[in-house]
Amino acid sequence: MTPLLEVRGIDKSFGPVKVLHDVGFSAYAGQVTALVGDNGAGKSTLVKCIGGIYPIDSGQVLFDGEEVQVHSPRDAGELGIEIVYQDLALCDNLDIVQNMFLGRERKHGLLLDEDSMEELAEKTLSGLSVRTVKSIRQQVSSLSGGQRQTVAIAKAVLWNSKVVILDEPTAALGVAQTAQVLELVRRLADTGLAVVLISHNMNDVFAVSDRIAALYLGRMAAQVATADVTHAQVVELITSGRSGELGLKNGVTP
Amino acid sequence: MRAGPSQEDIRRHNLGALLRHVHLGGPISRAELTAKMGLNRSTIMALTSDLTAAGLVREELPRETGRAGRPSLVVRPESARVYVFAFDVGPDRLAVARVGLGGVILDRRETVRDRDRFDLDEVAGLLAGFARQMRRKTRADTVCVGAAAAVSGGVRKGDGVVRFGPNLKAEEVPFGEELGRRLGLGLPVSVGNDANLAALAEHSRGVGAAVRDLIYLHGDVGIGGGIIAGGHLLGGHEGYGGEVGHMVVNPGGRACGCGSHGCLEAEVGERALLESAGRVSSGRHGRDAVRTVVDAADRGDIVAQEGLSRVGDWLGLGVANLVNIFNPEMVIFGGILREIYLGSAAQVRSQLTLHAMAPQRERLRLRTSALGDSATLVGAAELAFAHVLADPLEVLARANA
Repeated sequence: MTPLLEVRGIDKSFGPVKVLHDVGFSAYAGQVTALVGDNGAGKSTLVKCIGGIYPIDSGQVLFDGEEVQVHSPRDAGELGIEIVYQDLALCDNLDIVQNMFLGRERKHGLLLDEDSMEELAEKTLSGLSVRTVKSIRQQVSSLSGGQRQTVAIAKAVLWNSKVVILDEPTAALGVAQTAQVLELVRRLADTGLAVVLISHNMNDVFAVSDRIAALYLGRMAAQVATADVTHAQVVELITSGRSGELGLKNGVTP
Repeated sequence: MRAGPSQEDIRRHNLGALLRHVHLGGPISRAELTAKMGLNRSTIMALTSDLTAAGLVREELPRETGRAGRPSLVVRPESARVYVFAFDVGPDRLAVARVGLGGVILDRRETVRDRDRFDLDEVAGLLAGFARQMRRKTRADTVCVGAAAAVSGGVRKGDGVVRFGPNLKAEEVPFGEELGRRLGLGLPVSVGNDANLAALAEHSRGVGAAVRDLIYLHGDVGIGGGIIAGGHLLGGHEGYGGEVGHMVVNPGGRACGCGSHGCLEAEVGERALLESAGRVSSGRHGRDAVRTVVDAADRGDIVAQEGLSRVGDWLGLGVANLVNIFNPEMVIFGGILREIYLGSAAQVRSQLTLHAMAPQRERLRLRTSALGDSATLVGAAELAFAHVLADPLEVLARANA
């Protein structure tokens, strides 16, 4: 199977500090790929390179098997890559529909086409089986943490996106809301999207992922099927870059 | 020698098949039905008009299709008119729902059950009372076409007798017969095991729709299971099959309500979790108590974390055994197992990696229930609708008589 999104040999430095060394990473349609690694391993940098926020020093980005150039978030958006950052980037003083269409409002002549935006927002939320929000005209400031996460994810899905990258979506949530967000993450992939989940919580990773990619000090230690590894092995990959046959050899990607 | 099916048999079969499409798939145009059923247009038209005349479906013009040409009529189930009663008898709750054709829950009542004893008169009386209340509120043109109950225990296929139900404290209880008598609708009440029925529900309209081989695991006080193989529920010789909670995973382990030791249920059920998380003394039980443990583990309580991960290990071992034997495409966690799986997935899947064989586990999908607390009721409703789908016109004629 061709990965929907693949990067090969990515290098990235900030001045004298080399952050990513020869990193390869793939995400497949219909699957959740968990991206794990310690603080400072390079997860966020990798995601920002994919999202066009940081230019890469060298390496290739392939989308659906074809090499593409991603120089800006706009390029990424046009390919169908959406990223939901930890801070969610929602505006508290706007309602759910306004947030979902922020900066990409639909117009009817000179006026905003509120009806069609409302309808599409409603359809997207119900398509994700989201039943937790009462009204889509509610202000975002009145929503709980889990509901905000849901709105941010729905916003990412609205644009016919093909790859959705979620940065620690359950970090600030309680157990009940974490469960709902995890189920939403799983449903996104089951509807055919390629989902990338960044998480520190191993239960979250094992609960929904099909594949696990472990970064260690800026190198991709291993990309494995979740069905083939144990919790202990993944923890070893994260903390030492290797585990038995898996991982880096002499500190280098084999 | 058996004669081939008569024209009448074929018509009955087609009526049932068409109604099943509308019941499970929702509103659908005649054109789509023609394609899906592989029958010609005039046959579909004749079948839908028979079902419309019986009041089971109605046909409407679709909203804008955006395409040229005369739009095909959309066939909808008469959800508000044709309904069944679905009952759920669990260790902690008694619930009744009025479920319309198409699987819509129109109305429901629920009450907390006392765990200590099972009094047939009391339970059947209460459930029938709820059903009567709901029936009084219905319009005059509605019709009840069936009733079925999901019971936490082993149910004999032939007559709906609950043979054993250690978590209900029920034994040899003629539950279906008694509930049918008290309902007084002149309808038999079918009875099934709750986890079996929840499996059917997830298979027909939940997370496992279109999945032909799945295992549903249901957790409350005990662990129940439903195994769907090749699209059919495995009931076994007399209907007691699927009791995965009594698969022994730890010989000489914890005592189980069934009299044995080390059953999956004894190691993973609510009691095991609360005990190993040090929370028995709190006196709380049921779903809320389980949620408290998962919550405490999430907040960093070490005892709760250890308890949860221990339970996760046993659950993973149990699932690995099932996966090796049945090679399901999907395993679904329902009831309290939803919370337990999400809170201990690292353990569950590690055990699967260690003990399930590679060909069986590679493409396995692990999912949580989509129907949640309604799964057992939805499953009971499907059981109640089964005979309507088998012979729609006959059942409707009898119900209207």
